[in-house]
Formats: sequence, C-alpha cells, structure tokens
Amino acid sequence: MRWLYAMASLKVTLSGMLLLAVGSMLTYGGDTGFSVWVLVVPMALLAVNLICAIASNRKINRQPGLLLFHLALLSLVVVVAVGRLSHLEAQLEMTVGQRFDANSLVQLQQGPWHVGDLSEIDFSQGPYVVNYEPGIQRGPTMSQVGVFKADGSVEALVVGDDTPLIFGDYRLYTSFNKGFSLILEWLSNDGSLVTGSINMPSYPLNDYRQKNEWMPPGSDQTVKFWLRLDTDYDEDNYWLLSEDNSSAVLVITVGDQRVELQEGQELQFESGTLRYKDLTMWMGYTIFYDPTLRWLFFISVFGVLGLAWHLWSHADRLLAVTSQKDIKG
Amino acid sequence: MSALAAELPWLWASLLALGMATVAAIWGMFPRYDSQGEAIVDAQNKYFEHFVLLMLVLSVVLMSVAIGVRWDRLGHGPFVNLFELLMSQIWSLSLFYAVIYWWLPNLRGTSVIVFPALWVLGTWVLVLEPVASFYPATYYNDWKWAHVFFGKIFLAASLVGVGLAGVILLRRTRMLKLFGRMPNDDALDRVMWRFMMFALIFDSLMLIAGAVWAQDAWGRYWQWDELETSSFLNWLYLGAIIHLRMTYRIPLQVGAWLVIGVFVFAFLTYFGMPYISPAAHKGVV
Repeated sequence: MRWLYAMASLKVTLSGMLLLAVGSMLTYGGDTGFSVWVLVVPMALLAVNLICAIASNRKINRQPGLLLFHLALLSLVVVVAVGRLSHLEAQLEMTVGQRFDANSLVQLQQGPWHVGDLSEIDFSQGPYVVNYEPGIQRGPTMSQVGVFKADGSVEALVVGDDTPLIFGDYRLYTSFNKGFSLILEWLSNDGSLVTGSINMPSYPLNDYRQKNEWMPPGSDQTVKFWLRLDTDYDEDNYWLLSEDNSSAVLVITVGDQRVELQEGQELQFESGTLRYKDLTMWMGYTIFYDPTLRWLFFISVFGVLGLAWHLWSHADRLLAVTSQKDIKG
Repeated sequence: MSALAAELPWLWASLLALGMATVAAIWGMFPRYDSQGEAIVDAQNKYFEHFVLLMLVLSVVLMSVAIGVRWDRLGHGPFVNLFELLMSQIWSLSLFYAVIYWWLPNLRGTSVIVFPALWVLGTWVLVLEPVASFYPATYYNDWKWAHVFFGKIFLAASLVGVGLAGVILLRRTRMLKLFGRMPNDDALDRVMWRFMMFALIFDSLMLIAGAVWAQDAWGRYWQWDELETSSFLNWLYLGAIIHLRMTYRIPLQVGAWLVIGVFVFAFLTYFGMPYISPAAHKGVV
C-alpha cells in the first residue's frame, strides 16, 4: 500500500504537471517533429497519480463534486488517447461537378485504430462563392454540395467556414485553398476522347502564378499552361469570387510555340488535339474524423459541473468570511 | 485631419470616470483623524465608497456606449484587434468588479490594487489608433460568445484575486494602515483562493467552449497554436497552485505571489500572444 500513497502524492502531481507543461511547449505550433511521447508520458503519469489519489485520498473521494471533477479528468485523458489513436485527417480537392473519391485524398494521417469507413462519404461538388472585403480579406464561403442519399435522392446543402459537411463522424471543412480548374478534352489521333481537369494553384493567393504543366499521351514534350484570368478582382473594394463572373484565356507554351485559347478553342499536336472545353473551379476540403468528440464535450462539462458543485458546497463559508462579522485586520 | 472615431469621446469619458473612481478609492483608504487626533468613524468613509461605486458604474455605462458606437460603426463586436479587445476587457473587468465592490463591502480595499491594474489597460488603449478591424467568417460562430463570456469571468475573478493578494502583500509595507478596515490576512487568503477556484471553473469552461468553436471554425478542436498552448499552460499553472495551497502550508505571501502570477500569465496570454502570432488563432483567416 506504500506505493499507492507514494504514487498519490502531490509531488508526483506537480512533477507530472511540470512535465506536461514542458511537453506542451515542445508541441506548440503543431508539427514540431517532437514525438507524441512528450505528451503521452506526463499524461500517463498524471493518470496513474490520479487513480492512486482517488483511491487513497479522502479529500477527493469523500467529496462528491471534487471526485466527479477528477474522474472526469481521468476519463478525458483516456478519451483523448482513444481519439488520437482512431483519428483521421486528410486534404481533398473537389472540382465542380466531381463526385467524392476516397482515392483522391492527400496528406492522409490516421491513427492505428482508425475504423471509419470512407465510403460513408458520398457527395458531389457544386458551384461556390467566396466573399472578399477590401484588402482581399476573405469573408464567408458558401459551397454548394449534393449529398447522395441511400434512397437515390440528392440533398442540396450549402457548407463553408464553420459549417462542415458531416457524414457520421467524418467532418469536411472548406479551406482557404481553392481555385480554378481547366476542363480539357484530348482527342488522340486514334479517335479516343478523354476529358479531364487540371487544377490551377490556389486563388487569389497565387494570382499571378496560375500555372501548371501536362504531358499529352504519346508525347514526350511538356505542355505549359498559364491562365490569364478575368475575375473582377479588386483589392480596394468588396469582391465576389465566383465562377459566374470569371473567365480566362488559356496560354499554352510548347517549346518555342505560344498559343492563346479561348473557351471552346483547340490546339493541334502531333499525337492529337487538345481542346479547352471549360473553366470551372475547385474547392479544397479538410477531412477530420474523431469518434470521441461528443464524449470529450460531455465529460469535460460534467467535470466542470463537479467542480462548481464542490465550490458551491463551500459557499456558506466563503460568504461568512466576507461578512461584517469577520475579524478585521 | 481625419475625423475622430465616434467611440473615442465615450471611451475618454469612461476612462475619466474610472480615473475619478481610482483617485477616490485610494484617497478614501487613507485613515483620517479629527482635530483631537481620533480616527474618523466609518460613516465618512462610506461617502468615498459610494462615490467610487457611482463612478465605477458610470465608467461601465460610458464604456458600454463606446463599444456600442464602435459596433454600430464597424458592423461587428469587439473581438478582433487590440484596441477593441482592450475596450471590451476594461468593460467586463470593471463590471465584474463593480458587482464585487457592491456585494462584498469588506473587500472594497482591493480597489487600491484593482483600479491601477485596470489603468494599465486604460493607458494602453489610449495610445492605440481606433482602426477598423476585419471580422473573419469563423467569428460568426455562436460558441465564440460562450468562449468570450467564460474567459471574461475567469479574468475578472483572477483580477479580484490579485486585489486580495495585493492587500496581503502591501500589509507588510508602510501601506499597512490603508487596509486596517479589511478582514485579517487569513480570511483574505481563504477568500482569495475561493476566487481562484471560481476562476478555474470558468477557465475550464473557456477552454471547452473554445475547443468546440475551434473544431468547426478551424477544423480541429486543438492545434497547439500559441494562444491555445499558453491558455492551457495558464490552466495547468492555476491547477498546480491550487493543489499546492490545498495540500501544503504555503506562506501567505507566497500564495499571494502565486495568485498574481495567474493574472499576469493570463494577461500575457490574452494580450501578448498577438505580438508573437500574426493571428489570434491558427487559421483564423
């Protein structure tokens, strides 16, 4: 039993808190390169300390409010750990008209216990608009999406900023990363037709760098694209980023040859014909999965209520101390 | 010459009222004696206290108008740039302290410490330009209100703690006579730590509401950005010192300094982090 009291001591508590503070400072800023163990070790130490303290310390286990608070803290440590072990985060670019494809996820990070099913996510991207205030300060984003239901119907939703698209425990958030997309058709000399899209760099972040490269099938020559946009872009006034008020000339450079294409125009290559079919847009999404969010919320709220209950139970003593009856200094 | 921002006259009037409350509070704490050298009884001191409360309430009302005028001018509340954050904090801290001042007469002596602390914010806001701020789309979230509300209560409770701590410390100096009418140090110490537990409750609620806001505003409930990390460390520090106080017989002066540390830490977190990070929260835009 000696070990129980030793592990329950305040010295262990304060040491754990100090280690946790150091771990927090090392982790500050996100992806710092430090191992997650700088947080896991102190949290584990504090969890053991807390279990021993709850088991042995009457000041905690005989006062219901305080006990509830400390049990909540312990539960939070466990639930946060479960959440991180089962989480998933990824990035995705969706072109207008495109249907969600789990194979398109990039920067995928997931915990070893991730058991979610990405097939739950089924939607198509619609048009979107982004409001900008003077100084190109990004205002509200409104992204139209079509959610495919099990009965075959499609539900139209508008998401953006703090309104995510939710599929079970998956939450998709629009990001500042969005831009224009070229819809191109390639008609090869053998008659096969392929339609695809090329996403340009994020806009208006990369206003003068709307460039990309592509190699036609059957060719070893790189084709360079540059998009000369007309979006009513205005730094000094309110401005709406929208496909409706945007158009672009596609400037194609192949070797020494430079050609400008309007929508619908085409360029002949040795191995086929490239047609600039349409200009559309793409929206970047962040996908977040954590099945423990609701648990975290309710546990933490109950814990704080426990602390409030504990304080309230001592309120009479507080008021007596501050009353006129108290001994004056 | 550019036009004066509409909220400025109201801000100045509010700070003037706060200044009058400050002078009266400090002047009123000095013991006074009649022609026979006898100490003047409490009745006369009450005049000062009533005047202080009146000026404090007037300051809050005027600051409310200043905030309202700015809100109307910009179309959004005081949540973004330093100028409006300072206005907002002066308002909420003054309001909370006005309630404590009215409700707990025995603690009115803390005004000698609390008002100068408010004046740190008041002086700071006077040197700033009332430039317009951009309101990010993610700030329209309802959880922002909860986060801000809980944070204000936390900071205000910490400020009262600072006031009590300051009295404990100043009693060991020549300023002892100023606080002769207040409860003894042991009583103040008990009250001080109750306020810090109250502060811990609202600090915790602030972090919870902030995490809920952050989840949908920025895609993740915790990202260890500058503000979040500092807030967490502040919460951890507050929890640690409460544990210290509840378990060990720490000297009153040590406890007082620890409590002052909570407010200083919170102050640096709230007002200092914007100088380190370009955005209050990662991904605010």
